[in-house]
Amino acid sequence: MSTRTAASATLLALPTHTVWLVLGGFLGAALLNVQHTALWCLPLALIACAWRARGLRAPLRLPPRSVRIAVALLLTAAVLVSFHTLNGIQAGSSLLVAMATLKLTETSRRRDWLIVLGAALFLLLAACLDGQALWRLPLYAAELWLLCAALYALGAGSDAPATATLLRRSGLSLAAALPFALLLFFFVPRLPGSFWVLPRTHEAFTGLGDEMSPGSISQLTQSGEAALRVRFDAAPPPAAERYWRGPVLHLFDGYTWRRQHGEVARVPRVEFLGQAYSYQITLEPNQHQVLIALELPQVPPPELPNTYETFDYQLIAAAPTDRTTSYRLRSYPQHRSVDALSAAGRRLDLQLPPGRNPRSVELAQSLRARAGSDGDYIDAVLDYLRRGGFTYTLEPPLLNLDSVDDLLFRTREGFCGHYASAFVMLMRAGGVPARVVTGYLGGTWNPYGNYLFITQSDAHAWAEVWLDTRGWVRVDPTAVVAPGRLTEGLDQLLPDAGSEGRGLMSATWIANTILAWQGLNAWWQDEFIGFNFSRQLALLDRLGFKNHDLRIFALLLASGAGVWLALIAWGMRSGSRPPAGDELSRSWRRLERRLRRAAEPRAPSEGTSDYAERVGRARPDLASTVRALARRYARLRYGPAGSAADLEQFRRAVRGLRVDYRAGSTSRTRASSSAPPMKNKPSTRIDKR
Amino acid sequence: MLGRWAHARQGDDTLPLTLQGRRIYILPSAAGIAAAALLFVMLLAGMNYNNSLALLLCFMLCGVTLVSMHQCHGMLAGLTVRRAAADDSYAGELGDLQLLFENAQPRVRGGLLLRCGGCESMAFQLLPGATQLVRLKYQAGARGRQRIGPLELFSSAPLGLFRAWTWLHLPLEAIVYPAPAGARALPDGRGDPRHGERRLRIRGDEEWAGLRPLQESDSPRSVAWKVYARGGPLLVAQYDAPVGVHRLLDFASLPALPLEQRLSQLAQWVLDCERLGDSYQLQLPQATLPVGHGIAQRRACLEALALFHS
Repeated sequence: MSTRTAASATLLALPTHTVWLVLGGFLGAALLNVQHTALWCLPLALIACAWRARGLRAPLRLPPRSVRIAVALLLTAAVLVSFHTLNGIQAGSSLLVAMATLKLTETSRRRDWLIVLGAALFLLLAACLDGQALWRLPLYAAELWLLCAALYALGAGSDAPATATLLRRSGLSLAAALPFALLLFFFVPRLPGSFWVLPRTHEAFTGLGDEMSPGSISQLTQSGEAALRVRFDAAPPPAAERYWRGPVLHLFDGYTWRRQHGEVARVPRVEFLGQAYSYQITLEPNQHQVLIALELPQVPPPELPNTYETFDYQLIAAAPTDRTTSYRLRSYPQHRSVDALSAAGRRLDLQLPPGRNPRSVELAQSLRARAGSDGDYIDAVLDYLRRGGFTYTLEPPLLNLDSVDDLLFRTREGFCGHYASAFVMLMRAGGVPARVVTGYLGGTWNPYGNYLFITQSDAHAWAEVWLDTRGWVRVDPTAVVAPGRLTEGLDQLLPDAGSEGRGLMSATWIANTILAWQGLNAWWQDEFIGFNFSRQLALLDRLGFKNHDLRIFALLLASGAGVWLALIAWGMRSGSRPPAGDELSRSWRRLERRLRRAAEPRAPSEGTSDYAERVGRARPDLASTVRALARRYARLRYGPAGSAADLEQFRRAVRGLRVDYRAGSTSRTRASSSAPPMKNKPSTRIDKR
Repeated sequence: MLGRWAHARQGDDTLPLTLQGRRIYILPSAAGIAAAALLFVMLLAGMNYNNSLALLLCFMLCGVTLVSMHQCHGMLAGLTVRRAAADDSYAGELGDLQLLFENAQPRVRGGLLLRCGGCESMAFQLLPGATQLVRLKYQAGARGRQRIGPLELFSSAPLGLFRAWTWLHLPLEAIVYPAPAGARALPDGRGDPRHGERRLRIRGDEEWAGLRPLQESDSPRSVAWKVYARGGPLLVAQYDAPVGVHRLLDFASLPALPLEQRLSQLAQWVLDCERLGDSYQLQLPQATLPVGHGIAQRRACLEALALFHS
């Protein structure tokens, strides 16, 4: 007796390789999340999978319900202890691993296995949300393939085909799905904004910070981490003008410089001069709100709403940069302040901690007394730094709390941060308003991706001083102490520096490979990961749609999806051709296809000569021809080996056969709805060529 | 109900029947709706973070789902029903149905199930170019000619996210015999051994009758191997069956019963006679069937009872 229960009972016994596929898919998903899940997650998943796998050989005793509930509560508590929340990617994916593991201990039906698979898909999603580096892409693709194969295995139930077949089928499905996925990817509108905000993860700030102490920048320069990438619309600025402006520091306590939060004045007007540079910056996540820009940006980037410019020309984003962010800017390295310095601004940038660095204050006062103007004073201080026996080092000795005194009169060794700090302090002590600017200097030109690559090792600090005659002027004291610093990190592959000799980076193929890989990564980041609504609009522009209406998106999606569905349907139909045999079988099948108009198709049990007889009875006009062809077929197929010429002759005879519809014919054709006009006179001919 | 609508739309089917796309219906299954919810959550997550990779993953899964929809539809599209037959049955019981399916395409058709009323077949699959005989049951209704259908052929393969189905309105007909019932004693027959008449024997398989030489057409099973083992010739054991008495099963002899009970009693008697090995003759108001015995006789009598109109 065959009933529904019997049918579903057969599903209970899943084939061994189906279970392996599901377990493997789940483990893979857990593995892809290993960098942010709780430490116990992966071992837990491994143990549970091993236990399930053992169950394939020996019968399993599934734990009772009460035990499972207790374990569920325990695991939830463990997640809470680890992350103090159940929200967020880290806690969420840990919880997902825990609950899927728990599901493994009660899995006996197909539905349960499907739930495990769904959890694995969500884990894959969590991994995608967390890590989008190009090198992870093959891992994600492989995992998706595995999960898809597991899905096919579960779908087939007890008679799942071999793993290789499953992998082939799911691979084909994924390949068929890819055009559709890309269509949706490009044309589903990426409306900006978030529906919900997850709690901030306590990730370490990277890059430049809100404050600078002696040594903080030199720590930074030892990391080769990517900071930003810049793509210029036209030629990049000359090396000496590649100052990437970041946080501006005003507040000094004798040791540490800090940012001024809040506005002390309105944004002073600036007159932009000379060459303008338009470019796009892709900023790596650094958890700071200050955006990096080439000195000096004209307006805040339009892509990032609620970004504003401060009185000291910093660009402040609405939220800390917690993911790779792209924005376009237009900067003028040459510029001049129009407004006079406000009283509050002057007060802020002359502020010094009383009683700190006394020897430096003394030095400043004596130098200022000798100098005729503020400009002469700046020169005098720079001269002091140039001739004072100062050296530039990445590993300076530690400084005490009066850091400037210690640097100028004891260690005389320092990094850009030290000299910027000392210079600004001396300026202020001499009555010249000054501030420390941190950012990056230079960058490496990537010829494969045509962009400037700036790493944390390009971090730099310099000074800006206020001259009543010229406004804010950039002064880089490090350039005085170590003139090489300006060109040191700069790559010789820069288009405008071609004749200066080839740099070390271009010397080896390894360097080239690294550059190519970086270029590929940049393309991936810019074109794919950074794809957003404004890119979509630009894409529409390029496709020739001038009005950016949501209806255009709908139209493109609908028509694209329609074409894709039609192609899939067509692909399945064309895939439904009978399996190809040898030349003889192909010719015979062609004959049968033509004779469909004359008689019912040949039954599987019907021999070729019987079939020919039947056709002959239905269509006497065709009888002799078809009989002759059937005889020839039989001779070629079963007789002594025929020559190639015989085969060719048979093939031609079949090709030459014309079968017309006959009025009042007893044959029912399959394609009766699309039958061509019927002829009264039956005509059959065989072309003899 | 929907089957009736489909019948009005498609009309009766004739054999051989190749399933065309427009008669195949497809809807998401419960698992498919759950998968859609999952995809929607994934979409929200991807949109929320404007995360390209997550969105691409979600869109890939959407694509795979839609491909599986096509594949599910393709499980039925182009499938051919070559033969269909229904066995006769007794009222209220389950009768046998057989359908012969053929897959002319080079794709595997899996997870196919056939349903008739409340009865379902085993899941079956068709390899490329394969034919498969599928058996299932149908619920026999009241006595008489029964048109069987519509049959529902469906499949959730390959992923179980969609369920494609079609209704088959095949020319399937069975004769439903009256359910055998009634406790009246069999009518006495003529030629009862108690009357001292010599018993007739016919070739049968009930009692051992002797041995005869092997003929070419005999099956090896009927050879008397024991004789052969003792060194004897190849002989065939012969059995025969007693020709029982000849009973008259008369419709008119049951005047006290309502019609259906009368027919049930007669059907019961037919079966009783067959069990006893007696010859019998069925007499109905309109017709009297010839005396006889055996499968053909039983069938003729039961059919006459099934189709009886007073």
